[in-house]
Amino acid sequence: MTRLRLAVASFAFLLTWLVGASADIPPDSVYQLHAQLTTQTAASAGLDLHRGHPTLITMFYGSCPAACPMLITAMQVYESQLDESAQARLRVLLVSFDAARDTPRELDRLAKLHHADVTRWTFASAADPDARRIAALLGISYRHLPSGEFEHSLLITLLDSDGRLIASTAKLVGDQEFQAKLRAATELPEGRRERPR
Amino acid sequence: MLPRALPAPALLLCALAPLLCGAAQAEENPFVEVPGAEFRSALPAGKAEVVPIRTFLLQRHPVTNGEFLAFVTGHPEWRRGTAPAALTDAGYLTDWSGPLDPGPRATASQPVTQVSWFAAEAYCEAQHARLPDWAEWELAAAASATRRDARSDPAWRQQVLDWYARPGGKALVAVEQGQANVYGLHDMHGLVWEWVHDFNSLLPADADPEKFCGSGALDVQQKENYAVLMRIAMLGSLRASYTGHLVGFRCARTAGGSP
Repeated sequence: MTRLRLAVASFAFLLTWLVGASADIPPDSVYQLHAQLTTQTAASAGLDLHRGHPTLITMFYGSCPAACPMLITAMQVYESQLDESAQARLRVLLVSFDAARDTPRELDRLAKLHHADVTRWTFASAADPDARRIAALLGISYRHLPSGEFEHSLLITLLDSDGRLIASTAKLVGDQEFQAKLRAATELPEGRRERPR
Repeated sequence: MLPRALPAPALLLCALAPLLCGAAQAEENPFVEVPGAEFRSALPAGKAEVVPIRTFLLQRHPVTNGEFLAFVTGHPEWRRGTAPAALTDAGYLTDWSGPLDPGPRATASQPVTQVSWFAAEAYCEAQHARLPDWAEWELAAAASATRRDARSDPAWRQQVLDWYARPGGKALVAVEQGQANVYGLHDMHGLVWEWVHDFNSLLPADADPEKFCGSGALDVQQKENYAVLMRIAMLGSLRASYTGHLVGFRCARTAGGSP
């Protein structure tokens, strides 16, 4: 009887602890920013839509002639260096700051063009001021030029499952340090604390 | 997301009990019109010589501690100790005596500083406004007391530069102690640095042109206008969570109602 009560109590405690842990976003998490994204399926989402998974995040615009397709390919290459189970844990979020042109249909076209695994990759757009705020948070700069193009920096950022910054890289290929951090972040299943040791 | 205009009963309530609503703050720091212009910015967008700027409204003085206190009173999530570290660094409002008490070192009529860009964005949003873009701020700051564009006047330029040469470390004076510029705006120079909405895009994050999409390297014009260049360099070097002793802000609105 006592043992049962103890078991129930510890289960309840564990449950509260787990739920509590998942509800509180750490103060230094980028998920503290409330921003609204529109995804390639026309769904509304927050920046934290991949919370619970290590996530690669970047910003781009769809009609960018050269650098942005390279950026997407670069992320696919970094991902391809991981083994299959690590890839399954990873999520990828690409946020366009060109909400006017990067409609859900356009984002969907891009996802298909790049053969992205849409169960783990999300193409989204954010309108100003949310786009500007996400960029400021990640340390990405962009300017809308009169030609319709955007001048912007290329930066890939790796977040932990709670949205805390682990590493970022401006190197589209061969940043071994970044690759190592990506491997480490995706090595163990998330929620590893739940596993009995 | 935010209501564009207050309904008539709310306005009546504001008139009867101004302390109850944010409009009271706007009365103290009204929005002044800056007519649109084809402006020769120090930061041309692409190859264009001039930047077209639409008529906009800008607050008469930098937001004060008193005005910011009213904001954090109504927005607990932006109080010191509550605002998240991702959006404000450790210096956030540290000169204030308490989260709801500016205290003797931050009087009501001094400009609020030690506020991050995110906090400034949130403040302006709560006033149904926004931070000005760099080009808007630069246009408004190009004016002297008598001319809309005084930038070619050596005497005016020297006056602006003198502020940058003044030794730091002194307490900030209250707002609106000097002469207004031709639009009726105070303290565009000489008091604090001011956040702008696109502060993070004035300079490339990385000077390597290969890492920059679009037109590539930055081309700064009017290289003789040192004061403006210093401001661009300073703002461009900041992180959005930075809270500095000399960085404040004021809000803007697009003419015609919407932020």
